[in-house]
Amino acid sequence: MIRCDHLTKIYNGVPAVDDLCLEIPAGEVFGLLGPNGAGKSTTILMLVGLIQPTSGACYIDGVEVAAHPIEVKKKIGYMPEDVGFYADLAAEENLDYAARFYGLSEAERKRRVDDLLALVGLDGVGTKVGGYSKGMRQRLGLARALVNDPAVVILDEPTANLDPRGVLDYRRIVRSLADRGTTVLVSSHILPEVSKVCTSVGILARGRLIASGDREMLSRAAMQDRVTIDVETVTPMPRLTNPEVLSAEYSQDACSARIVAKHDISGFIAETLYAEGILPRRLAVEMPDMEDILLSYYTEGTA
Amino acid sequence: MTATGMRIIASKEFSDHLRSRRFHLLFAILAVVAAVGMITGAVQYTKDLSDYNAVQMIAENEDDPTLAGNLAGLKPSILSAYSQMGMLMAGIGVVLGIAMGFDLVTREKESKSLKSLLAYPVFRDEVINGKALGGVGAIALAMGVVLVVSVAIMTLFGIVPNVDELLRVLVFGVTSFLLVFTFFALALLMSTVSKDSGSALLYSLIVMIVLSSFVPIFAYTPIYSAVFGDAPTPPGMSTYSYQQSSSAYTVTSVAVAYKSDDAVDPEALEEYERTSREYMNQKRTITDIVTLISPTGNYQTILGAISQPAGDNTPGLGSLIGALVCNIIALLAMPAAFFGLAWVRFMREDIR
Repeated sequence: MIRCDHLTKIYNGVPAVDDLCLEIPAGEVFGLLGPNGAGKSTTILMLVGLIQPTSGACYIDGVEVAAHPIEVKKKIGYMPEDVGFYADLAAEENLDYAARFYGLSEAERKRRVDDLLALVGLDGVGTKVGGYSKGMRQRLGLARALVNDPAVVILDEPTANLDPRGVLDYRRIVRSLADRGTTVLVSSHILPEVSKVCTSVGILARGRLIASGDREMLSRAAMQDRVTIDVETVTPMPRLTNPEVLSAEYSQDACSARIVAKHDISGFIAETLYAEGILPRRLAVEMPDMEDILLSYYTEGTA
Repeated sequence: MTATGMRIIASKEFSDHLRSRRFHLLFAILAVVAAVGMITGAVQYTKDLSDYNAVQMIAENEDDPTLAGNLAGLKPSILSAYSQMGMLMAGIGVVLGIAMGFDLVTREKESKSLKSLLAYPVFRDEVINGKALGGVGAIALAMGVVLVVSVAIMTLFGIVPNVDELLRVLVFGVTSFLLVFTFFALALLMSTVSKDSGSALLYSLIVMIVLSSFVPIFAYTPIYSAVFGDAPTPPGMSTYSYQQSSSAYTVTSVAVAYKSDDAVDPEALEEYERTSREYMNQKRTITDIVTLISPTGNYQTILGAISQPAGDNTPGLGSLIGALVCNIIALLAMPAAFFGLAWVRFMREDIR
């Protein structure tokens, strides 16, 4: 549904996006991750037709964005990071104005605007948008991105200003979009959010896609076939001997150890301790969280 | 380009202008100023007409063909009332134009709505064209209302214009519209090149001052003399200028002409006539150029020409427009140039 083919954007001789090749199938909720300046927003701006690539191309539903921007814009819903509205208009007026560009009839616009305001929890808010909090604007931004019932939704930092209730609503909306077969591209710094709603992830660093795939695949790759096991015992433990062990660090009293092995050998460790009559206090296999995975890739990508 | 996006944007801009407090305020001032100018002008016209009729009656009673001939081109025109109004319009209209245009694009940048607007299925040129069209519509409406009010006031004073005068009133209206539109287009240009509304307003005011006040000073005699030299002195006559000044202010400035009793050399007189003619031609050319560059200069030239006294020798509207063609073209070209530059700049706007 979304395809980037050697997509490149150069600003003043510096590549913001560098030879990006990416394919996101229909119905996928894809998380685009990366540190500041990685090229996430530039990629998104090219996908929504706001800037032209220096070279390469991007496609939405098989239509090249740069060649047919209007056709593409009709298929997508976009929420920018710095979402903005006309402060002197009410939420429904802002949404109605947006809906006019998609050729919806007045009755259809009214129905959609009412539904969307209810969806994001802004129905019945009478004030002008100028009086909205950042979180309310973010909710309204999400509603506006959906005003044309798009096949592709592109959200740039969608939960940046949301309160916990807003985040829950956002997750619910994204999941319901995915259930309906809508392709969602989420760019975010809030890593737990990405891991909670995205079915696959791409990691950008210095304009390049350094990794992509589903979360499990990425964590396996990030761990580089290594498992870290923390062991704590009541009495000193013996040195573990197993061909799977790559390294082991023991405390001076030998009551705690950090074992790095090729695979999860926690079962073997438990058996050894039991056989030696040693009472374990803690036996924990460290699974990397999204932040660890990301940091390992950032380090790799910027090295 | 599709017209739909442009129509939607133009309609919103038009509605925004009409709902804006800034527009209400300036339009109210414009209407009041126009009404006051019109009333003053109508009173003056009535008095001038009464004086003219009185003198004409004397000429008829005394059967003086010379006096009657002299009066032929001096019958006050209804348009003289518009002359008063036009002078006031030149000030307020310019402010109205700038006030309506200076934040059209910067407001979108500041509210961060530009990115969303351009993400709708709409071409960039539709956005800038729609914004300009909405503004032009609001200006046209304001000028139309002012024109209708002015005709209504005239009618209240019992002044009923004929077809030629009505056409001249229409020319006045179109010219006033073009003046306001020129400064609207200038402000729109500044709005596209500036990062914020404050800078756009400042740049607009600077260019307005340059065009309306700075450029025309080159046509003023003292400035002209300082830049291009003094007018030739007639033979047998010497002019001395005496100026005493301190660092803070000028105390005295005296120009004294002495006439010699000696007979004037005919060749010197001929030479004086030639250089004087060249000097005047050059001055006229410079003045014309300065007027063409200044929108207010063009406006006042056109306004002066259409409101000149009516009479047997007064040129018809057609020949008047023919004589003013350069000013009319300049008044059309300047907003077109400003809008063209705004268009190009907006099309190249870097969205990040």
